[in-house]
Amino acid sequence: MKERVNLRAICALAVLLAATPAIGATGSLESYVTYLTSDELEGRLTGSGGERMAADFIAGQLGELGAEPLPGQEEFKIPFEFTAGTNDGGTTLALKAAEVEREWSSVDSVQALSFSDNASVTGGVVFAGYGLVLPESQDFFYDSYTGLDVEGKIVLALRYFPEDMDQESRSKLARYSGLRYKALQARERGAKALLVVAGPRSPNAGEIVPMTFDTAVSGSGIIAASISGAVADQLFEHVADKTLEQAQASLDDGNPHVTGFEIPGFELTLDVKVERERRTGYNVVGMLAGTDPGGSDKPYVLLGAHYDHLGRGKNGNSLARAEEVGGIHYGADDNASGTAALLEAGARLVGMEHKRNVVLAFWSGEELGLLGSSAFLNGPDDEALLAVDTTAGYVNMDMVGRMKDNRLTVQAIGSSSVWPRLIEQSNVPVGFDIQTMEDPYLPTDSTAFNTASVPTLNLFTGSHEDYHRPSDTAEKINYEDLARVAQFGALVTYRLANMDQAPDFVNVTPKRQEGGSRDTLRAFTGTIPDYTTEVEGLRLSGVIEGGPAAEAGLQEGDIIVGFAGQEITNIYDYTYALEVVKIGEPVAVVFMREGERHEVTMTPTARD
Amino acid sequence: MNPVISRPLCGLLFTLLVIGLVPASAAEEPAYEESDFLNRVRRLTFEGRRAGEGYFSPDGNQLVFQSERYEGNPFFQIYLMDMMTGESRLVSPGPGKTTCAFIRPGAGDILFGSTHHDPESEALQRAELEARAAGEEKRYSWDYDPEMEIWVAAGDGSGLTRLTDVRGYDAEGSYSPDGEWIVFSSMRDAYNRELTEEEIKILEVNPAYFAEIYLMRADGTDQRRLTDAPGYDGGPFFSTDGSKIVWRRFDEEGLTADVWTMNVDGTDQYRVTDFGAMSWAPYEHPSGEYIFFASNKLGFSNFEVYIVDAAGLKEPVQVTYTDGFDGLPVPSPDGSKLVWTSTRHQGEGGQLYMGDWNHEAALEALERSPQRERPE
Repeated sequence: MKERVNLRAICALAVLLAATPAIGATGSLESYVTYLTSDELEGRLTGSGGERMAADFIAGQLGELGAEPLPGQEEFKIPFEFTAGTNDGGTTLALKAAEVEREWSSVDSVQALSFSDNASVTGGVVFAGYGLVLPESQDFFYDSYTGLDVEGKIVLALRYFPEDMDQESRSKLARYSGLRYKALQARERGAKALLVVAGPRSPNAGEIVPMTFDTAVSGSGIIAASISGAVADQLFEHVADKTLEQAQASLDDGNPHVTGFEIPGFELTLDVKVERERRTGYNVVGMLAGTDPGGSDKPYVLLGAHYDHLGRGKNGNSLARAEEVGGIHYGADDNASGTAALLEAGARLVGMEHKRNVVLAFWSGEELGLLGSSAFLNGPDDEALLAVDTTAGYVNMDMVGRMKDNRLTVQAIGSSSVWPRLIEQSNVPVGFDIQTMEDPYLPTDSTAFNTASVPTLNLFTGSHEDYHRPSDTAEKINYEDLARVAQFGALVTYRLANMDQAPDFVNVTPKRQEGGSRDTLRAFTGTIPDYTTEVEGLRLSGVIEGGPAAEAGLQEGDIIVGFAGQEITNIYDYTYALEVVKIGEPVAVVFMREGERHEVTMTPTARD
Repeated sequence: MNPVISRPLCGLLFTLLVIGLVPASAAEEPAYEESDFLNRVRRLTFEGRRAGEGYFSPDGNQLVFQSERYEGNPFFQIYLMDMMTGESRLVSPGPGKTTCAFIRPGAGDILFGSTHHDPESEALQRAELEARAAGEEKRYSWDYDPEMEIWVAAGDGSGLTRLTDVRGYDAEGSYSPDGEWIVFSSMRDAYNRELTEEEIKILEVNPAYFAEIYLMRADGTDQRRLTDAPGYDGGPFFSTDGSKIVWRRFDEEGLTADVWTMNVDGTDQYRVTDFGAMSWAPYEHPSGEYIFFASNKLGFSNFEVYIVDAAGLKEPVQVTYTDGFDGLPVPSPDGSKLVWTSTRHQGEGGQLYMGDWNHEAALEALERSPQRERPE
């Protein structure tokens, strides 16, 4: 391990290592956060005027730093389009039989699924049970399409998964019961469209599926709608020997010999109309040119943070208490803190010698589902703004303003073997009590890079009771330690930018299997998981007032170790266990509080 | 400077528990908490499975330590960390086992125990790697390798020179403040004379029984023995003024240990602690006012760091309060920092930690601590 001494690099490093932050650092951090959380920015909702003002502010700061736009870009602000919401634009369903014609057009009877394309199709109907198909890799055979020919047909399927199977099987099926996944399976088998009904034996029985907030840019080549129980019953009038409820009951024990069937005697015409509200959001991206980017196989290093937040919290992610609803969600910690730290880190990195180009990326659309970072990596037209195979690594800062007791959580270190060394080197001069976590699958922008096989790291100072509430305000930020986080982020980036060889990427196997989606989650418990501590079990950073967990007496700091008879060792176990509980049925919750084991009963309520 | 503890002392501790020698933890609330003495606690090392035994250079700008981070070698190697940049470089040659490094005042040379010269060392590495791959890691694999000898090298690893050359474990060395002398622990007494039948049996199960404290010049000449007591004498360090040596002495069975001091010629051997537990890894604060050490007084695997006045007249004061192992405390030369080895991150092995040390609070706490009967 003999290293040649690079005197110039050492001088540059001295700038970064100055034990105290640059003079005025805490002052400028405070001024950044204060502006980003001011009333006129109204919570920086992606696509809003407040977001635009924040983007202009950041672009101005980048200009003052002396950063330059990315190659091929003329400005720091890079727009991306997204769907800010979906509405049904008048979807209709018409039935034509020999002796009768019917038509349904109210949204109480038929409504588009939010991911559907706009199109009109006509065809005969095949009832395909739950419309579930498990991939072969699952080592568990279940295929609703066995023996069915749905080519050119409209498939009618039940929402969710068989209600009466054993817990383990339900937990397997639950992960493949998302509606988008079901629609894809129907399409792959040649079906023209998918109609979904919540069966009489399921939660939300007979109800139309709400149009969820779906941020996909365009339709998916799928035509899909949900119909009410009443409409489904009328379709089943053409089935000689059973009602919808009987058909569902025969499927609910999971008997593999129960198959779907064609419903004869009529054709349906489904005309789906989805209105998508298109908006434009802005990532703000600047570059500090490297001294020798061409001398490296991967000439870019990224340091990033999202600057958007929830606006007034109308999009579903708000945890505002009753009296706070509709108020500005200031997002001081989430993530004005990371935005300010990124500007400060950029200021430290300016003028320092780094071989690779350092890209400072301020993302928007994070709160709506990593929209900005994903657009940057994938689109438009699948042309990434920066080829991921030229990117040596990505360091993210999300919620870094509430440091307590010198503790910094550094997440995703499993994504490359170089991280422990870089963290060690960067922390010696800064001196945090660092907790490391391996898992790179995080609810923040670093996950978009991990998916693209780029080594990632995320800095985090922990969740708190003001998370996603209007009370996440600027005066609660710990600016002194925020300046140290900025210094640490700059040091890691500096070292990454000067490594001779780009770091290896380690593909961490997700603890959670793919296939599921949020719409398979039916139960609501009102627990707020703590993502910063690796304990055996699920530690709660809080509970939602009035929710089932609060009713059951759970509170902040409790560690759930058992749920509905399942052992809970991490958040994934908990999510699985949650997928298969029955709404309204009490379950036993085992938890640890101050080292003592307790058991309570909780009754989950339904999500939409 | 006990290499044993760099591996959890499972074997020994288990014995302690079984025969009930560990005192029950005191029922009263502790008078202090960790933040009374240590602030801005930070984790220093992250790379590799384990790290430990950190010792400062006299100017406090460098820290020598041992870490399992050398690719292909499962055992510790010696590294030198620059406390300004955070960068570390390898000092020891790479193969074999190494332990217990120390920086020579004035010269910057680094001494450490090493087995790299042993032709068997690479085979031992392979065997350990295979055992680990098979999940059979020994619970406590510090085996007092009789091939362990004390070597010295420059800070960049060049000029590697052997200082001891007798069969039997030679390690746990440290320099005098003037850099002219080395005090160390050796088990040569088990190999340089005819053993009684009873001693042969002891050698098989508890070779450390034969360990004694020795002194030599920095060039390895003039080796002389300072202690002559059954039981493991090890981990010796000079006091800041160079007049004393502080070390730990185990009882004959290796069950309990205490901190002792003596003159550099071996006279005036004086027992400082008497917890009746395993109290070891002593190191004097540069003020000369008190000695740091680690003890499992509170039970089983819960080692904590304590301080005791040099004369041992006061009840020792506990200064760390975190579950798991906290030990091998070493202050910075200006007395303002403390480096120690801890498993507080709940990882599989210890790593180095550092905190800002509150010397004034330590003095006050000792001042207030009750007098106690002097141990005999």
